[in-house]
Amino acid sequence: MDILTNLLFGLKVAGEPYNLMVAAAGLILGVIVGVLPGLGGANGCAILIPVTFVMPPVAAVILLASLYWGSLYGGCICSILFNIPGEPWAVATTFDGYPMAKKGQAGRALSAAFFAHFCGAVLGTIALTFFAPLLAAFALRFGPPEVFGVMLLTFSAFVGLVGKSPIKTLVATAFGFIMAAVGIDIVSGELRLTFGLTPLMGGFNFIVAVIGLFGIGEILLTVEEGLKFEGVKVRMRWSDITATFKDMRRYWKTLVLGSFVGVWMGFKPGGATPASFMAYGFAKEAMNEEERAQFGQGHVAGIFAPESAAHGAGTSALIPMITLGIPGSPTAAVILGGLMIWGLQPGPMLFVDKPDFVWGLIASTWYGNIIGLLIVLAFAPAFAAVLRTPFAILMPLLIFICAIGAYAVNNRMIDIWYMMIFGIIGWAFKKLDYNMAPMLLALVLGDMAESAMRQSMIMSQGSLLIFVQPPIALPLVIAAAIIGSWPWLNPMIRRMRGKEAGTSAGH
Amino acid sequence: MTTKAADILVAAILLVVGLIVGFDSLRLGAGWGMEGPKGGFFPIVMAALAVAGCVVIIRQAMKGTSSVKGSKPFVPSGGMKPVLTVFIPACGMVLLTEVVGLYVAAMIYLAAYIKVVGGYRWRTVLLISIPIPLIFYWVFEKIFLIPLPMGMIGAQILRF
Repeated sequence: MDILTNLLFGLKVAGEPYNLMVAAAGLILGVIVGVLPGLGGANGCAILIPVTFVMPPVAAVILLASLYWGSLYGGCICSILFNIPGEPWAVATTFDGYPMAKKGQAGRALSAAFFAHFCGAVLGTIALTFFAPLLAAFALRFGPPEVFGVMLLTFSAFVGLVGKSPIKTLVATAFGFIMAAVGIDIVSGELRLTFGLTPLMGGFNFIVAVIGLFGIGEILLTVEEGLKFEGVKVRMRWSDITATFKDMRRYWKTLVLGSFVGVWMGFKPGGATPASFMAYGFAKEAMNEEERAQFGQGHVAGIFAPESAAHGAGTSALIPMITLGIPGSPTAAVILGGLMIWGLQPGPMLFVDKPDFVWGLIASTWYGNIIGLLIVLAFAPAFAAVLRTPFAILMPLLIFICAIGAYAVNNRMIDIWYMMIFGIIGWAFKKLDYNMAPMLLALVLGDMAESAMRQSMIMSQGSLLIFVQPPIALPLVIAAAIIGSWPWLNPMIRRMRGKEAGTSAGH
Repeated sequence: MTTKAADILVAAILLVVGLIVGFDSLRLGAGWGMEGPKGGFFPIVMAALAVAGCVVIIRQAMKGTSSVKGSKPFVPSGGMKPVLTVFIPACGMVLLTEVVGLYVAAMIYLAAYIKVVGGYRWRTVLLISIPIPLIFYWVFEKIFLIPLPMGMIGAQILRF
């Protein structure tokens, strides 16, 4: 088995003491950023990217990936103990997690969440291990038109399936691409959209955008809402963990279902949040009358479902990132950006050129999730204590750390100012339903999408037909067209169906 | 300001930015050049999408079919003050960074914020605001060798 040999090789790479140490450090930092409001996986990775410059790429990606797993684990501490979802996909967990904590079962709720995460992680990692190489081998046949088709599909998925306002998602995406275009044109080398202003010549860095949009913006939203962090105190006892084992045996179907929904949805961009809600809904449907009534009052399956889905989605978001160079989540986008900074070309060739990197990353998700589970089980109360830091102390510290991260990417003072501006934009956009994940993705992928498009057009000497050539590009573009126009298509279909039903009923 | 007004204002700003981008792309040339599409081709497509989208957003906001509730205030009452108490001092820190560097600016910013907004005792204030930037200084400048902004006179202040 080719994959198993590669996996063993990867386990050896990721199992080196230095890499294991890096993974543990990443996990602990990840849980902390996951717990803190205003910092999430995307932000934590963005701030840490300058630190990775001094590491070999394998260790660097292990650090960022571990931070990602840690932040997924940490998010549920916040939503269960404080009733504040640290991330959008943790919203569904608050429905049952917080009531359980209020009832004095905080330890049991947390341990249920952690083990649910672990189940999602295992399924996601299996998918990553066995599916990613196949997809990469297939993607090796992609030329520029196919790459462009995949990008089109990605962004139309955002417009069509994610977010409350499709049109605003479209506008946000367009501005992401526009920001990516500012600076030097990669093909011709001429300056564009700089209007003669020196600060614009360097373009916009996506890391600065992440820190501003998701970090500063989120902090501003938090203080505006005047959130108070008055959480439930927690102690983890051995009996909580044994109780979870019993719960797991009883609701194993919920766990498996949640994990599957997560892995399936997470593969598509922006899938974690809908996945967690879907899993919650499915779990509730599958229960009998009596248990369904307990949902929302603190039913343990109401934690199992969304948490396993969220972690499964987070893990499988790495599959398109590592194989196609298209990240499935904002955090994966930041890791992808890191890849480019370390001088690696994202895409299927990575599997051929840098097997130690790819398999080191895949293997580290196995290690990372096991170590992560042990860390959160052992230290959950300590991590919860971080949130009890008074806001007047925590908040200026967060802004200081954000400023370090924004500056250190390019050593440019102007980037700290950009960070503040992005903060305001993030604050306003969030309130007006502009979806920032595709904007960020467009900023990361802008150069790649544009060069794929321009290379295709050079290949075809200007004919747009190249984007719809069979066998691969055509189905991609058709799928993109259907998914992207879904918000408008769906009511149309419904209206037609409604008419049919109406006429047949009349006869 | 109502959310409706803010919705329209933001879309209008984006519309203007989109138009500016469109005109600059035209200046660069958005047609077929020596080696394929010119530099302005991709941006002008995006600018066109953005401008068209903004028009739709403004129309939706006017007709009240937007996904956000237009009648609600954009900033809930009592929400603006905490936002400004965070944002303005943070900008102050960035301004100070230009002069004394990030570490010293952070010390002043942390101390001022924790004292004035948090209302803590001087002992707490100093125990947090002095050592934390120093730890970061040690980690970034000495261990990872990542230089952070020193401003005009920051390097003279931190001489160890």
